[in-house]
Amino acid sequence: MKTRILGFVALAAVIGAAINGLFLVPADLNQGDAQRIMYVHVASAWIAYASFGVTALAGLGYLIWRDLRLDALALAGAEVGVMFTAFAIWGGMMWGRPVWGVYWQWEDPRLTTTALLLALYVGYLLLRRLTDDPARRAARAAVVGLIAAVDIPIVHFSVIWWRGLHQGPTIGDPSKILHPSAPLLFVMALLVMLGALTLVWVYLLIRRYQLARLDWEREDDVRRGRVEAARRVTVVASGAEEPAG
Amino acid sequence: MTDAGFVIAAYGVILAGIGLYAAWLARRLRMARESLQRRDGDVDEAG
Repeated sequence: MKTRILGFVALAAVIGAAINGLFLVPADLNQGDAQRIMYVHVASAWIAYASFGVTALAGLGYLIWRDLRLDALALAGAEVGVMFTAFAIWGGMMWGRPVWGVYWQWEDPRLTTTALLLALYVGYLLLRRLTDDPARRAARAAVVGLIAAVDIPIVHFSVIWWRGLHQGPTIGDPSKILHPSAPLLFVMALLVMLGALTLVWVYLLIRRYQLARLDWEREDDVRRGRVEAARRVTVVASGAEEPAG
Repeated sequence: MTDAGFVIAAYGVILAGIGLYAAWLARRLRMARESLQRRDGDVDEAG
């Protein structure tokens, strides 16, 4: 019930943040309306980082405590993170075309490392399908989730470390925390969108975690069914052999 | 396409995508719960 309320609050917050970003905040003097994409694009990217951070930490926790609930949380983080990374890339492409003149450029470090991040976590999700054994699956996924997380700081700092088409951090540069490059009104609109999408993220994370727990129970049933069927086969086989012996 | 077109495409796909994913999750959750309830019903009947 509480999660459902959170869902409605998140929905209202996103609608409010979208109206604010689309209609209430003035357009940028240089980029015009296209700059409005920044609010969803940057917020989606940050939430993707947070999501993959949850996957890495939950995976690390699993390797330490061997608690499958942490694996369910890691899975939730990865799936939701993949979605937000795809949204960040889509938003970036829609912003890039009117501002840069191209949707995509492989030479740009930020774009390429973000595409790699998406590929790594899609790979993480595919890897989970390779085995039915929950413990083995969780351990493998935890290791891959931790390795993939190395790309998160590389994506974030790529615009500081290397030159490319992508602009520098809006407010994420440690040296510009108190003096962001964007006007305060734009930064506020970005933070409003970030807050709204964070509520959505928490809601989706909870729902995906709940689904992972239910999927376990069903997998457990299937496994127990297999064990029971194998036991019956053994009993029947040994029963058939007994008269002959 | 105009700037407004790109803005609508960006917001439209992202917000609709979130909505579709939330709906898909809700559907999968409902199906999983129904499946487990059916199992519990079968166990009760068998018991």
